[in-house]
Amino acid sequence: MRIKFGTAARVILVSAALLGGCATTPVQPWERGRLARWDMRWDPDPLQTAMREHTHFSKEGSNGEIGAAGGGCGCN
Amino acid sequence: MRNSLARILSTIVMFVACATTHAAVETVVGKPAPAFELPVLGSESRHIALESQRGKVVLLDFWASWCGPCRQSFPLYEKLHGELPAQDFTLLAINLDEMADGPAAFLFEHPVSYTSLADPAGDVAKKFGLVGMPTSFVIDRDGIVHSRHTGFKPQDIDALRSEIRGLIAGSTDGRQADAH
Repeated sequence: MRIKFGTAARVILVSAALLGGCATTPVQPWERGRLARWDMRWDPDPLQTAMREHTHFSKEGSNGEIGAAGGGCGCN
Repeated sequence: MRNSLARILSTIVMFVACATTHAAVETVVGKPAPAFELPVLGSESRHIALESQRGKVVLLDFWASWCGPCRQSFPLYEKLHGELPAQDFTLLAINLDEMADGPAAFLFEHPVSYTSLADPAGDVAKKFGLVGMPTSFVIDRDGIVHSRHTGFKPQDIDALRSEIRGLIAGSTDGRQADAH
Protein backbone atom coordinates (compact mmCIF):
# COMPACT_ATOMS: atom_id res chain seq x y z
CA MET A 1 0.00 0.00 0.00
CA ARG A 2 1.41 3.34 -1.01
CA ILE A 3 0.77 6.28 1.23
CA LYS A 4 0.36 9.54 -0.60
CA PHE A 5 2.98 12.13 0.17
CA GLY A 6 0.37 14.80 0.95
CA THR A 7 -1.36 12.51 3.45
CA ALA A 8 1.93 11.59 5.12
CA ALA A 9 2.97 15.24 5.36
CA ARG A 10 -0.40 16.17 6.89
CA VAL A 11 -0.20 13.34 9.44
CA ILE A 12 3.31 14.36 10.39
CA LEU A 13 2.46 18.03 10.72
CA VAL A 14 -0.66 17.33 12.78
CA SER A 15 1.38 14.97 15.00
CA ALA A 16 4.02 17.68 15.40
CA ALA A 17 1.38 20.17 16.43
CA LEU A 18 -0.22 17.74 18.90
CA LEU A 19 3.07 16.57 20.41
CA GLY A 20 4.29 20.16 20.58
CA GLY A 21 1.42 20.80 22.94
CA CYS A 22 3.02 18.30 25.31
CA ALA A 23 6.30 20.21 25.40
CA THR A 24 7.08 21.10 28.98
CA THR A 25 8.93 23.79 30.78
CA PRO A 26 11.20 22.47 33.54
CA VAL A 27 9.85 22.58 37.08
CA GLN A 28 11.61 25.41 38.86
CA PRO A 29 13.38 24.73 42.18
CA TRP A 30 10.71 26.66 44.10
CA GLU A 31 7.86 24.78 42.42
CA ARG A 32 8.71 21.39 43.88
CA GLY A 33 6.52 21.61 46.96
CA ARG A 34 3.84 19.26 45.67
CA LEU A 35 6.40 16.90 44.15
CA ALA A 36 8.15 16.71 47.54
CA ARG A 37 5.01 15.49 49.34
CA TRP A 38 5.38 12.01 50.89
CA ASP A 39 2.39 10.70 48.95
CA MET A 40 4.10 11.66 45.67
CA ARG A 41 6.89 9.17 46.35
CA TRP A 42 7.18 6.02 44.28
CA ASP A 43 6.95 4.06 47.52
CA PRO A 44 5.33 6.27 50.17
CA ASP A 45 5.61 3.69 52.96
CA PRO A 46 8.67 1.41 52.57
CA LEU A 47 7.94 -0.43 55.85
CA GLN A 48 4.45 -1.37 54.77
CA THR A 49 5.78 -2.45 51.37
CA ALA A 50 8.42 -4.66 53.03
CA MET A 51 5.77 -6.33 55.23
CA ARG A 52 3.44 -6.93 52.29
CA GLU A 53 6.26 -8.37 50.22
CA HIS A 54 7.32 -10.66 53.05
CA THR A 55 3.84 -12.14 53.20
CA HIS A 56 3.54 -12.23 49.43
CA PHE A 57 6.87 -14.04 49.02
CA SER A 58 5.91 -16.64 51.60
CA LYS A 59 2.48 -17.31 50.16
CA GLU A 60 3.09 -16.88 46.46
CA GLY A 61 6.81 -17.62 46.10
CA SER A 62 6.13 -21.14 44.80
CA ASN A 63 4.43 -19.66 41.77
CA GLY A 64 7.89 -18.62 40.60
CA GLU A 65 6.91 -15.06 39.84
CA ILE A 66 9.14 -13.51 42.45
CA GLY A 67 12.15 -14.88 44.28
CA ALA A 68 12.65 -18.43 45.45
CA ALA A 69 10.00 -21.10 45.66
CA GLY A 70 8.52 -21.73 49.06
CA GLY A 71 5.38 -21.71 51.06
CA GLY A 72 4.06 -20.85 54.43
CA CYS A 73 2.07 -18.38 56.37
CA GLY A 74 4.53 -15.42 56.20
CA CYS A 75 4.40 -15.14 59.96
CA ASN A 76 8.16 -15.29 60.62
CA MET B 1 12.96 13.82 -2.79
CA ARG B 2 9.64 13.07 -1.15
CA ASN B 3 11.27 10.46 1.07
CA SER B 4 13.87 12.98 2.18
CA LEU B 5 11.16 15.51 2.96
CA ALA B 6 9.25 12.92 4.94
CA ARG B 7 12.41 12.09 6.91
CA ILE B 8 13.03 15.74 7.65
CA LEU B 9 9.44 16.21 8.79
CA SER B 10 9.66 13.09 10.99
CA THR B 11 12.81 14.47 12.57
CA ILE B 12 11.00 17.74 13.29
CA VAL B 13 8.19 15.78 14.96
CA MET B 14 10.67 13.96 17.21
CA PHE B 15 12.43 17.15 18.20
CA VAL B 16 9.17 18.94 18.91
CA ALA B 17 8.05 16.01 21.07
CA CYS B 18 11.23 16.30 23.11
CA ALA B 19 11.09 20.07 23.31
CA THR B 20 11.63 21.69 26.66
CA THR B 21 12.43 25.28 27.25
CA HIS B 22 15.58 25.92 29.17
CA ALA B 23 15.82 29.55 30.09
CA ALA B 24 19.42 30.57 30.45
CA VAL B 25 20.20 31.22 34.09
CA GLU B 26 22.06 34.46 34.36
CA THR B 27 24.21 34.75 37.43
CA VAL B 28 23.69 37.73 39.68
CA VAL B 29 27.07 37.32 41.38
CA GLY B 30 29.16 40.46 41.04
CA LYS B 31 26.13 42.54 40.05
CA PRO B 32 23.76 44.72 42.08
CA ALA B 33 21.24 42.53 43.86
CA PRO B 34 17.81 42.66 42.20
CA ALA B 35 15.55 45.01 44.16
CA PHE B 36 12.47 43.60 45.87
CA GLU B 37 9.95 44.33 48.54
CA LEU B 38 8.12 41.40 50.12
CA PRO B 39 5.60 40.89 52.93
CA VAL B 40 6.82 39.45 56.20
CA LEU B 41 5.72 35.83 56.51
CA GLY B 42 2.62 35.64 58.69
CA SER B 43 2.17 39.41 58.77
CA GLU B 44 1.11 40.40 55.27
CA SER B 45 0.65 44.08 56.16
CA ARG B 46 4.35 44.56 56.98
CA HIS B 47 6.78 44.70 54.08
CA ILE B 48 10.56 44.75 53.95
CA ALA B 49 12.59 46.00 50.99
CA LEU B 50 16.12 44.81 50.34
CA GLU B 51 17.03 48.44 49.70
CA SER B 52 16.29 49.23 53.36
CA GLN B 53 19.21 47.00 54.39
CA ARG B 54 21.78 48.95 52.34
CA GLY B 55 24.92 49.56 54.40
CA LYS B 56 24.73 46.13 56.02
CA VAL B 57 26.00 42.78 54.83
CA VAL B 58 22.93 40.69 53.99
CA LEU B 59 22.60 36.93 53.92
CA LEU B 60 19.56 36.17 51.80
CA ASP B 61 18.35 32.60 52.28
CA PHE B 62 15.69 31.10 50.02
CA TRP B 63 13.94 28.21 51.78
CA ALA B 64 10.81 26.07 51.78
CA SER B 65 9.21 23.82 54.36
CA TRP B 66 9.65 20.77 52.12
CA CYS B 67 13.38 21.40 51.64
CA GLY B 68 15.40 18.81 53.56
CA PRO B 69 18.71 20.73 53.91
CA CYS B 70 16.78 23.74 55.26
CA ARG B 71 16.21 21.72 58.44
CA GLN B 72 19.97 21.66 58.90
CA SER B 73 20.58 25.26 57.85
CA PHE B 74 18.04 26.94 60.11
CA PRO B 75 19.65 26.17 63.50
CA LEU B 76 23.08 27.09 62.13
CA TYR B 77 21.84 30.32 60.53
CA GLU B 78 20.13 31.19 63.81
CA LYS B 79 23.46 30.78 65.61
CA LEU B 80 25.21 32.89 62.97
CA HIS B 81 22.53 35.55 63.28
CA GLY B 82 23.14 35.72 67.03
CA GLU B 83 26.91 35.89 66.65
CA LEU B 84 27.22 38.81 64.25
CA PRO B 85 26.49 42.44 65.14
CA ALA B 86 23.00 43.57 64.08
CA GLN B 87 24.26 46.99 62.94
CA ASP B 88 26.50 45.30 60.35
CA PHE B 89 24.62 42.18 59.38
CA THR B 90 21.08 41.12 58.47
CA LEU B 91 19.79 37.68 57.74
CA LEU B 92 16.69 37.70 55.58
CA ALA B 93 14.99 34.43 54.77
CA ILE B 94 12.61 34.17 51.84
CA ASN B 95 10.03 31.42 52.01
CA LEU B 96 8.93 29.93 48.70
CA ASP B 97 6.13 27.62 49.83
CA GLU B 98 3.19 27.68 47.45
CA MET B 99 0.90 26.25 50.13
CA ALA B 100 0.29 28.40 53.19
CA ASP B 101 0.26 25.66 55.85
CA GLY B 102 3.88 24.51 55.41
CA PRO B 103 5.98 27.40 56.77
CA ALA B 104 4.19 27.73 60.12
CA ALA B 105 4.71 24.07 60.98
CA PHE B 106 8.35 24.27 59.88
CA LEU B 107 9.01 27.39 61.97
CA PHE B 108 7.33 25.76 64.97
CA GLU B 109 9.84 22.91 64.70
CA HIS B 110 12.77 25.15 63.81
CA PRO B 111 12.17 28.49 65.53
CA VAL B 112 14.43 31.36 64.48
CA SER B 113 14.67 35.00 65.51
CA TYR B 114 15.46 36.37 62.04
CA THR B 115 12.80 37.54 59.62
CA SER B 116 11.24 35.40 56.93
CA LEU B 117 9.55 37.02 53.96
CA ALA B 118 6.94 35.36 51.76
CA ASP B 119 7.40 34.87 48.02
CA PRO B 120 4.87 32.13 47.17
CA ALA B 121 4.89 32.93 43.44
CA GLY B 122 8.70 32.72 43.29
CA ASP B 123 9.03 36.15 41.63
CA VAL B 124 12.12 37.13 43.63
CA ALA B 125 13.57 33.62 43.29
CA LYS B 126 13.28 34.03 39.53
CA LYS B 127 15.06 37.38 39.64
CA PHE B 128 17.94 35.80 41.55
CA GLY B 129 18.09 32.83 39.13
CA LEU B 130 17.78 30.00 41.64
CA VAL B 131 18.84 26.61 40.36
CA GLY B 132 18.34 24.59 43.54
CA MET B 133 16.96 24.62 47.05
CA PRO B 134 18.06 26.00 49.38
CA THR B 135 20.08 28.81 47.88
CA SER B 136 21.63 31.69 49.77
CA PHE B 137 23.25 34.89 48.57
CA VAL B 138 25.74 37.06 50.40
CA ILE B 139 25.21 40.72 49.53
CA ASP B 140 27.78 43.30 50.52
CA ARG B 141 27.24 46.72 52.09
CA ASP B 142 26.92 48.34 48.65
CA GLY B 143 24.17 45.97 47.55
CA ILE B 144 26.43 43.91 45.26
CA VAL B 145 25.91 40.14 45.28
CA HIS B 146 29.17 38.73 46.61
CA SER B 147 28.44 35.02 46.28
CA ARG B 148 25.80 32.41 45.76
CA HIS B 149 25.60 29.12 47.68
CA THR B 150 23.38 26.42 46.26
CA GLY B 151 22.44 23.61 48.64
CA PHE B 152 23.52 23.40 52.25
CA LYS B 153 25.74 21.10 54.29
CA PRO B 154 26.50 21.80 57.97
CA GLN B 155 30.21 22.20 57.20
CA ASP B 156 29.39 25.10 54.83
CA ILE B 157 28.62 27.39 57.73
CA ASP B 158 32.27 28.04 58.65
CA ALA B 159 33.19 29.29 55.18
CA LEU B 160 30.05 31.39 55.12
CA ARG B 161 30.86 32.89 58.52
CA SER B 162 34.40 33.78 57.38
CA GLU B 163 33.09 35.32 54.19
CA ILE B 164 30.54 37.46 56.02
CA ARG B 165 33.05 38.50 58.69
CA GLY B 166 35.44 39.51 55.92
CA LEU B 167 32.77 41.67 54.29
CA ILE B 168 31.81 43.24 57.60
CA ALA B 169 35.49 44.07 58.15
CA GLY B 170 35.50 45.75 54.74
CA SER B 171 37.37 43.15 52.74
CA THR B 172 36.05 42.47 49.25
CA ASP B 173 38.82 40.03 48.47
CA GLY B 174 38.03 36.47 47.58
CA ARG B 175 34.90 37.22 45.61
CA GLN B 176 33.62 33.78 44.90
CA ALA B 177 32.06 32.32 41.88
CA ASP B 178 28.87 30.41 42.46
CA ALA B 179 29.48 27.86 45.17
CA HIS B 180 27.60 24.58 45.05
